[in-house]
Amino acid sequence: MRSFQLRALGPARALGAAVFAAVLTPSVLVAQASGLGQQSLRPYWHVFAAYTLVILLVAAWAFSIGRRLKDVENRLSD
Amino acid sequence: MSTYLRQLAAIVRKDLVLEFRSKDRLVAMGAFAVLAAVLFNFSLDNASVRPRDVLAGLVWMTLVFGGLLGVGRTFHLEAEDDAFRGLMTSPAPKDAVYLAKVVVNFVLVYGLSVLALGVFSLFLAVDVGANLPGTLLVLALGALGFVALSTLFAAVSTGTTMGETLLPVLVFPLLLPMVVFGAGATGRLIAGRPFAEVAGNVRVLGAFAVAAVAAGAVLFRFVVEE
Amino acid sequence: MSTAGVRRGGTALTLIGLAGLIGLFWLSFFWVSTEVNQGVAQRIFYVHVPAAWTSFMAIGISALCSGVYLWLRDERLDRAALAAAEGGFVFATIVLVTGPLWGKIAWGTYWTWEPRLTLTLLLWFIFLGYFMVRGSTEDPEKGKRFAAVVALVGAIDIPFIHVSVLWFRSLHPQPVVAKAEGPTLPQDMLTTLLVGVLVFTVLFFGLFLMRYALEGLRAELQLRERRTSS
Repeated sequence: MRSFQLRALGPARALGAAVFAAVLTPSVLVAQASGLGQQSLRPYWHVFAAYTLVILLVAAWAFSIGRRLKDVENRLSD
Repeated sequence: MSTYLRQLAAIVRKDLVLEFRSKDRLVAMGAFAVLAAVLFNFSLDNASVRPRDVLAGLVWMTLVFGGLLGVGRTFHLEAEDDAFRGLMTSPAPKDAVYLAKVVVNFVLVYGLSVLALGVFSLFLAVDVGANLPGTLLVLALGALGFVALSTLFAAVSTGTTMGETLLPVLVFPLLLPMVVFGAGATGRLIAGRPFAEVAGNVRVLGAFAVAAVAAGAVLFRFVVEE
Repeated sequence: MSTAGVRRGGTALTLIGLAGLIGLFWLSFFWVSTEVNQGVAQRIFYVHVPAAWTSFMAIGISALCSGVYLWLRDERLDRAALAAAEGGFVFATIVLVTGPLWGKIAWGTYWTWEPRLTLTLLLWFIFLGYFMVRGSTEDPEKGKRFAAVVALVGAIDIPFIHVSVLWFRSLHPQPVVAKAEGPTLPQDMLTTLLVGVLVFTVLFFGLFLMRYALEGLRAELQLRERRTSS
């Protein structure tokens, strides 16, 4: 039972780290671009938003599958 | 083959008789077309919109919404009286049942669209006389494609707990080609353009109708199986 | 393959895909050159187009599995069709949120009836219908058949929708839209795009396998519950 839980946590943790790293990358880009002045900043924000939404949607789907998997496995092992 | 056609004709006759006796759907769809024309008339600002330019779009929207209103109830009688089992265990093949329903619905929806054309032309004072045969052909092909898809999905939605509420979600996305080519062609024909200009539209509408009828005839058996 | 094996494979592919996604982000932020006409916003292209590709592949897989399911009635095919549809729904959502973000910069409006964007919007609704049908039947077997019919008819209809949105577009001349794609795409942009397509495909199949395994476990659970109740 315990080893099973550790196994289930593995991918979840890796996913979390990946999300963190990937969200961090565009924000570095925006920070770099901030010197360019007000008008030209808008495209950077849109790119940032788009890439963040990609990560969020993929992660949301992955987490939802993970949660449902864990739920079914718990009920199966009862 | 002749047996098949005879069975088909028998179901069509039975459904048409039922339809014209009860007149439920006839009255509802006819009233819908006229009332939609009244409401559309008051929703348009005649000072800024020329009715001639929007007539085709309004007729097609009336076809879609009013048609769905009627077609959604295709299988209600069977579902309520539990007559579906009877129809399904009858020797007639299931595609014949589907095609018969398509024929009956086509009669209703085509009638609705022609009525809508007339009523809109009357209320909005637009002359649709130019290219009338072409316009009627375009409406017929559109009505056939519409009926083929919506009859199949009426069978699906009747089997769900959501019922007819589900029908627009399933059917509207699939109807886009019909609306684009149908309303486009109707608009040009009403504006007096030659039929040759919309021949391409008519071909696509025809292909769409054929594909929809074929897909419905093949897939209907999987929707109604016990 | 056993359900556990599928699940392990799915997890591995997903992790590879996520690593690839970070690589793709790095490529499109720091490596690929900026497009001359559209500037930075064009970088959305590298996630937008692969997501679109994946969502259309998904409806293809879903329709194919649905068709064979109706023929052979193998539960595994229905599970695959469901998993593909869910993935297609997620990736179509990505297309629909990234497209307007790009369009606002490139064209000045969030929404235009750009043919492929329109097509994706309708695809999204076809997937929505698929899930609504599946979820609103009392008999699960019936829901599977209904959903299979929805996926099949949707896939058959997509070429027609494509033709019609292209035709509608030609009717209404639009201001000249700078086209990012085309045969003249510079080498580094093409490479980034192809990496994007590969990464999204791997990610899709990774999650697809996990979703497929989930449905397998659910069936196992149902079987066990039925056995204990009888």
